Amino acid sequence: MGYGNYIDPFAALRPDYTVGAGEKLELTFVVLPGESRDIDVAIDLVGEGAEVSLKGLYLCGGDERVNFRILMHHRAGGCVSRQLFNGIAGGTSRVTFDGRIIVAPDAQQTEAYQENHNIVLTDGAHVETTPQLEIYADDVKCSHGATTGRLDEDALFYMRTRGVPEAEAKVLQMISFLSPVTESLSEAERERTNQKIITLL
Amino acid sequence: MDKLLEIKNLHARIGEKEILRGIDLSIGRGEIHAVMGPNGAGKSTLNAVLTGRPDYEVTEGSIVYDGKDLLSMAPEERSWAGIFLSFQYPVEIPGVTITAFMKAAVQARRKAQGLPEMKTPEFLKLLKEKMAFVQMKPEFAKREVNVGFSGGEKKRNEIFQMALLDPTLSILDETDSGLDVDALKIVADGVNALRSPEKSAIIITHYQKLLEYVRPDVVHVLKDGRIVRTGGPELIEAIEKGGFDQF
Repeated sequence: MGYGNYIDPFAALRPDYTVGAGEKLELTFVVLPGESRDIDVAIDLVGEGAEVSLKGLYLCGGDERVNFRILMHHRAGGCVSRQLFNGIAGGTSRVTFDGRIIVAPDAQQTEAYQENHNIVLTDGAHVETTPQLEIYADDVKCSHGATTGRLDEDALFYMRTRGVPEAEAKVLQMISFLSPVTESLSEAERERTNQKIITLL
Repeated sequence: MDKLLEIKNLHARIGEKEILRGIDLSIGRGEIHAVMGPNGAGKSTLNAVLTGRPDYEVTEGSIVYDGKDLLSMAPEERSWAGIFLSFQYPVEIPGVTITAFMKAAVQARRKAQGLPEMKTPEFLKLLKEKMAFVQMKPEFAKREVNVGFSGGEKKRNEIFQMALLDPTLSILDETDSGLDVDALKIVADGVNALRSPEKSAIIITHYQKLLEYVRPDVVHVLKDGRIVRTGGPELIEAIEKGGFDQF
């Protein structure tokens, strides 16, 4: 694909995973502070009833560069894919999220969902999120949602009036923001991730 | 007489707009004060300044609480010193349970006071006791703070937290309240139960309804950023009859 100077970020992506009829795939990606990473994942759903759950989180507090490129290709009908990526960017980090869902013409009764939520902690941090849906079938349920915002000042103040110190209130809020993703981790991994949150302050 | 709270010549603004224009107010130990006033009088600003909400700037005056300079204290330090603010619109905290939230609050205060952490069984016992005290169903302990709560449930949660934290000075923000009678009674019962010779409360309100259930010792009328009248409970009736224009 080429449209003038536009470079398709997905052009070179080959499927990393092929999920067949009745198969299930669950993956969770974790990017911890200090890691610059390119996470490229392409998944083909090729058999009826295939299910994919893809989750990810990132924590950036310095000058990390983190790029997610996710391609979810529904080639067969009756498949379900769910994606949830949450992350927190501080310091002077740069994060991009490119997520594309393609539903092939024959892939009727597809369910495909994608969510990407980001918290930006500093003026120096930058997050760019580009969700894309390409749907060629007509009987599908697809949605994507992307948000980028700051910590909730009202909630922080509320917690502080009850005696929770500001730093702890921020950490609590960040733990809860990541919890839909961290709940899929083992307890040890979840603990390790939550311990890192404080380094972002 | 030993005062718990002494506000002197308080001026405050948000942005360029001066809202409090010289407030003098002192509250003795054991007293309940009502601050009443029309919309735009400065009730919310007074509340915000007392609890240390960011964005509000005090330009003049002082507040001494229990011998300490209140304005130099962070919101959490005010809480540790025994001040509690009951929100008119309590905030939702998704992902944080009431138990986790209150545990964080109690342990932080104990740490600030140089006390060892409270053991979990002891904390859970306290939690259960206070929930029963405000007639809150035990399953709320595991609910996320205020998420999906009805108006009455939110109020009950505020009064539960107040009972648990056992404040010396409670500030009740009922500024523009759409409280129904049930919610009013929850608040009133909570405040009345905490009445003692050492504890004080300020009820900031537009309406007299709550004051039928909690009788204040002193009533102040706030108008255009100043206290324009101070008196006893008889002022409530005067406001009910003649509104705020008479002051």
